[in-house]
Amino acid sequence: MFFSIYKSCINAAFARASAYRLNFLLSLVITLGFNLLFPLVTVLIYSAGAGFPGWGFYEVLLMQAVFTLSNGLAGVVFSGVLWATMQHVREGTFEIVLLKPTGPLFFLIATNFDEDSLGLLVGGGALFAVAVVFADVSVAAVPAFLVLFAAGFCVMAGVNMLMAATSFKWVGNSRIPEIFDSLLNFGKYPLTIFPNAIRGLATFVIPVGMIAFYPANALLGNWDWRTLFVVVPSILFMLFGVRTYQKMVRAYEGVGG
Amino acid sequence: MNVIEVSNLTKTYTTHKRGSGFGAAVKSLFVREKVEVCAVDDISFTVKKGSICGLLGPNGAGKSTTIKMLCGALYPTGGKINSLGFNPYADRKKYVRKIGAVFGQRSQLVWDIPPVDSFNMNRAIYAIPAADYKKRLSHLAALFEIQDVMQKPTRVLSLGERMKCEFIMAMLHNPEIVFLDEPTIGLDILAKTKIREFIREINAGGTTFILTTHDLEDVQQLAEHIIIINHGKKVFDDTLPRLQHYVGERKIIELKLNVPLTIDIGKELNARIIKQPSPVELTLEVDTASTPIGEFIAALSRKTNFADIAIKALPMEEIISQIYSE
Repeated sequence: MFFSIYKSCINAAFARASAYRLNFLLSLVITLGFNLLFPLVTVLIYSAGAGFPGWGFYEVLLMQAVFTLSNGLAGVVFSGVLWATMQHVREGTFEIVLLKPTGPLFFLIATNFDEDSLGLLVGGGALFAVAVVFADVSVAAVPAFLVLFAAGFCVMAGVNMLMAATSFKWVGNSRIPEIFDSLLNFGKYPLTIFPNAIRGLATFVIPVGMIAFYPANALLGNWDWRTLFVVVPSILFMLFGVRTYQKMVRAYEGVGG
Repeated sequence: MNVIEVSNLTKTYTTHKRGSGFGAAVKSLFVREKVEVCAVDDISFTVKKGSICGLLGPNGAGKSTTIKMLCGALYPTGGKINSLGFNPYADRKKYVRKIGAVFGQRSQLVWDIPPVDSFNMNRAIYAIPAADYKKRLSHLAALFEIQDVMQKPTRVLSLGERMKCEFIMAMLHNPEIVFLDEPTIGLDILAKTKIREFIREINAGGTTFILTTHDLEDVQQLAEHIIIINHGKKVFDDTLPRLQHYVGERKIIELKLNVPLTIDIGKELNARIIKQPSPVELTLEVDTASTPIGEFIAALSRKTNFADIAIKALPMEEIISQIYSE
């Protein structure tokens, strides 16, 4: 049932996104280009003879590739929720969503396809391919990597839902993503370079470390079964995002008729 | 049998008051005065199965808020709604399967793709069996004569074509109640007529309609039950014929005189002059409860020399605007 709705809605969402072909292709190419430039800072740091202690260039590149992949995947699936929620709340059209016999969050996820994030996904995939070839990757750690990557995806989902939930209260605040992006920045670099307090926060409270650090570290062979426990805060974080969104729907008041 | 029972429904909002100008804008960054607005104030009513109920009121009266609460899209602050045996906001997902809605100013169609793709999406959402969907879509499209239109992107359709598609979108899952919020707004007379015919046709099959509109022609042609809300309170709840007598047993008399008047006709005939575009053209309003129409015509014949006369019921606009201004 859910799959059938999702399939039908995503077909419509993709048809909508691709209705303007030039915009679709340009968005894809521009996002791809920008994201291939993302590791440029890392290249500059390592070319200058500096680096992150304990991390080689391709190891950091691998981590950043995982971050981009996770961000792209979450963007394709969830990014539209934020903008759609924001627009519906500002224009007072959220009742159209509430008229559907599905959860509003599910409906918005299914009916909004973010074509920009597709570029991010392709860019992340290209970086990941390069990093995997040159970094010392452990094939045995692939299952652990996949579990941790899925947990990181849960964190990204939670972040997107919290951002969307915030837009019910901060109506029309287009700076919401920037606030959350600044939190996500902690997930772009090895957690080992941060003080213990930030490491703890980024693992158990707002588990942004799970987006790239833990999965990449596992793929490099640095993991044991205890690492898998950090999956729990990630799932809880996503559930917190879902619950917050559902509660905020009650705050929706529409606009004057 | 009632399909909707509303008792003591209330909705209040908290909003912020802000003055105009730069100073007020700066001040509002630090201090904002909270204002409680009561959009719907303790209203109760029932709607019978298979009826067409007109929900009227001036702008800001609370009609749309009431409709949204009836649809389960807004949480009431107080009171109860029982619609089709459901509490709309608590049982929203189950309830909205049985209702449809057309909002004249909010589209359910996906803007960039043809309506038929939006219909397909609704088929999946409402889990409509393929055969039922095909049959119903072809029936609804035939009623509106828009088989070709459904294949074009929504953004290129005219307002009339789009509204017809909105109706189809709302009716595909065969709802028991349909909420219409200003469904004919901005439409030309042909499109309005087609939509009214469509509503009548679907209503004949037993579907209940709740209609909010500012177009009194919609009300006169469709609704048998009228509820009027003003300042969030219910001020009228009865049939259309009763509404026509709500402000008294008044008639409008249009006269064409052979010679200009020499008497104060208002005073002499206990009537009110509404307009007098020329010395020989006159429109009067008479309260037939105090002056029976026969007596009035007899007195008029004695005191004036008229060439033509027309006796009309008080126009609906007049009745409604009197109720709104109360």
